[in-house]
Amino acid sequence: MVSITLSHVSLDYPLYGAYDFSMKRRLLGRLINERSEMRTIRALDDISIEVAAGARIGLAGPNGSGKSTLLRLIAGVYPPSSGRLERSGNIMPLLGLSAGANLDFAAADNIRLLLRIGGRKPTAAIVDEIWAFTELDERMRQLPLRMFSSGMLMRVLFATATAFPADILLLDEWLSVVDEKFSAKAEQRLLKLVSMAAIVIIASHDQPLLRRTCTSIVALDQGRIVGTDRPRIHPVHHQDMEKQRA
Amino acid sequence: MISLNDSGRRLSVLHIFKIYYPDLFGGTLSVIRDICTALKDKFSFGVLVCSKQGGRRCVVVDGVPVERVRSFGDVLSLPVAPTYPLRLWRRMAKHDLLALHAPFPLADIAFALGFGRGRPLVVHWHADIVSHAGFRRLVEPLMRRTLRRAEAIILSDGVLLDETPLLQEFAEKCHVAPFGIDVSKYDLPAKRHHDIRVGRGRGRLVLACGRLVPYKGFDVLIRAAVDRHFSVWIVGEGRERARLEQLISSLGVRDRVRLYGSVPDSEIVKLMYMADVFVMPSVTSAETFGLVQLEAMAAGLPIVNTSLDTAVPHVARHGIEAITVPPGDPEQLGQAIETLIDDPERRQRMGRAARQRATTEYSSATFKQGIETIYRQAIARKAESRAAEAAEFKTTGLLGAVRIAAALAWSDMRHRYVRSILGPFWMSIQMAIMVAVLGSVIGHMSNAGIMSRLPMLALSLTAWTFLNSVILDATTALQGSASLIKDRALPPVVFLLQCVFRQALFALHNACVPLLLWLFLVHADFASALAALPGLLLFVTCALGLSLVLGALATRFRDIKPIVESTLTLAFLSSPILWTPEMINQNSTVMRLNPLTHLFAVWRDPLAGIHVGMASITYALACVVALGLASAVTIVRLRKAAFWI
Repeated sequence: MVSITLSHVSLDYPLYGAYDFSMKRRLLGRLINERSEMRTIRALDDISIEVAAGARIGLAGPNGSGKSTLLRLIAGVYPPSSGRLERSGNIMPLLGLSAGANLDFAAADNIRLLLRIGGRKPTAAIVDEIWAFTELDERMRQLPLRMFSSGMLMRVLFATATAFPADILLLDEWLSVVDEKFSAKAEQRLLKLVSMAAIVIIASHDQPLLRRTCTSIVALDQGRIVGTDRPRIHPVHHQDMEKQRA
Repeated sequence: MISLNDSGRRLSVLHIFKIYYPDLFGGTLSVIRDICTALKDKFSFGVLVCSKQGGRRCVVVDGVPVERVRSFGDVLSLPVAPTYPLRLWRRMAKHDLLALHAPFPLADIAFALGFGRGRPLVVHWHADIVSHAGFRRLVEPLMRRTLRRAEAIILSDGVLLDETPLLQEFAEKCHVAPFGIDVSKYDLPAKRHHDIRVGRGRGRLVLACGRLVPYKGFDVLIRAAVDRHFSVWIVGEGRERARLEQLISSLGVRDRVRLYGSVPDSEIVKLMYMADVFVMPSVTSAETFGLVQLEAMAAGLPIVNTSLDTAVPHVARHGIEAITVPPGDPEQLGQAIETLIDDPERRQRMGRAARQRATTEYSSATFKQGIETIYRQAIARKAESRAAEAAEFKTTGLLGAVRIAAALAWSDMRHRYVRSILGPFWMSIQMAIMVAVLGSVIGHMSNAGIMSRLPMLALSLTAWTFLNSVILDATTALQGSASLIKDRALPPVVFLLQCVFRQALFALHNACVPLLLWLFLVHADFASALAALPGLLLFVTCALGLSLVLGALATRFRDIKPIVESTLTLAFLSSPILWTPEMINQNSTVMRLNPLTHLFAVWRDPLAGIHVGMASITYALACVVALGLASAVTIVRLRKAAFWI
């Protein structure tokens, strides 16, 4: 069963670079009896969340509130400093905007490479299918990603990343770059992913988006959970509305 | 794989059959054409067929591109087109769905060879091969293979499933989609109705349509016309024509029986309106449905058909829309026709019933919808099974890390030549130049034969380049892959492995220089090469350990990288890479303490035919153990690598 459990998880982010932490300093510090503890910043503070299959969690909060850090922690990028983190199910994290794409490679090569990284064998049919989803020109497939606009890049990456159902999908500000039409399509696909018993966690500043797509919204501030909200418009209704509009 | 059907692009379907318009007219062909016409908004179609006529290779028929493969005639009702399977293979890749109109063993060959495995296939089962029993036995395995890999089999009537054992094996794939007919095409305007005085006024015209081939049973019909008072028009063309002409003459019915030749569809409608009775005298189960019979029903004609165990007597039922007689019985056929000819009221009643049945039971809309659903399901099912085939492999654990690292390294290698001016092996050329220049310089320094030294020099340089680049690469690898580590949560160790794999691939490119030199300058000694392998393995293991440890350290402490760089330069000069130990004092302390001396010695000495010193082996093993321990610690610490980047 797919689930994520965080109980009293904290993360102290070590600040390399911001402070002199060289060997000289350590030796001198010891001589003059200065405590030379590693400087850290508490990025996440006592977070407890339980997520069960089918949940769509929105993370809201101002810049620096720990949304991305929390996603990375769940993804396994950062080990928690204290507390317990349990995950079951395979995780598909889509966090930064370039998400592992190599801008010098052709789009099709990137798709293949990203599929491999995701543990899938990239067959021609799958790449075709992904390309069809991006709705980009067939000729652009062989162009290096360097020449793509950020929206186009996002289409390629989103289409690749969501081509296969993942148990847990982590998204960080992912739907903000693409145009309205693709955004609607992407939302539709996300809903489809969720319907396949997946967990989706989305961090975004876009409140309406969160309200539309999520079953509950967790508000973060300075690394703490400051509130949980259940949007009144249930996403299933949203889907119906979408159908009526179509 | 997740797909949304409204991806904007129309799916493309390739119809595969032996023949098509304009070479011939006939039931199967009109099914293909009707599918193409009815679904042209939903799919884009292509047709691949054979053609005896030669002529242009690609023609457009009713807006559908038709590619025609040259055939040299027919053998056993099959076109002899040796290039057909090949052309089929080349076309398959361009279409989303393949629609095979069976029986067509030539295409079965292509499928049996495994062509187009990735494409969904739908088989329209028009008929079994009945006329050539021996041949059928021969191709049955092929047909079975095709049916096995097909996503769906479309039948015109459920009775085909009951009567064909081959289909019963795949009963769960069979879908019944009765052919449909657009009845409105057969509404003749009332005005023109008056112009036509030939048939319905006199009430004696019998019509039959179909290719002039044996199974259509036109000879039976001709025999049935003997000593009767009706006229018979047979519409169609085919290889039986001469024989039928002769039969007509010999039976003395030339005044009443006429071979009309082939006519366009619009003309057939007219002919149907002129006729009073439609006859379907087919004699074998090759006649599975009798589309033309349905057309005649739409035109409101009473039918005389035969009691085949196919859909024929189901489409037009005995006593309601038709009179059904045993196949191949001229006497009963003639009797049945005469019964209808003599009873205008019954004709009218059956004609009305026929039209009613064609309208309600065989509507083109139902057919169209059925076919569309089956096509879409086939495509979806194939996509599903393909997705299952593209089964996930593990991405976690050590094996997963190695896999991803290998994939990344392979892609690096392939992209190494992107934007290069000299193309592949430019690095090897560089290596060759370096070996040549350094070789000549060293040749001047020592008196030993330069030529015999060159292979070893090239090999040492290749090995050193590998070690050097692995370490240098590793010091920047984690920072370079920050996005994959932080955004895709890949374990950092993957990227250090990637360095080793990538440089190993590059080293293999470079290795062609020493290999060629070795082959040309020294007599090849494979035994010593084999003896060098364990030593080489130690060397590579050390490179791996160094890359892990130094890679992690250099990412954590930024001053490590310049230190490593300068140390590598120093190591290059102080190790026996350009020079050999014999060239200087063997017992120099630096040489003895330098681990690189021993790491090179463990594989270079066996290659040169020298016994490896115990000290070297111990030293190298100690290095491996120390690096192994350090690597283990590093791998644990790498959990925090994301903080360092």
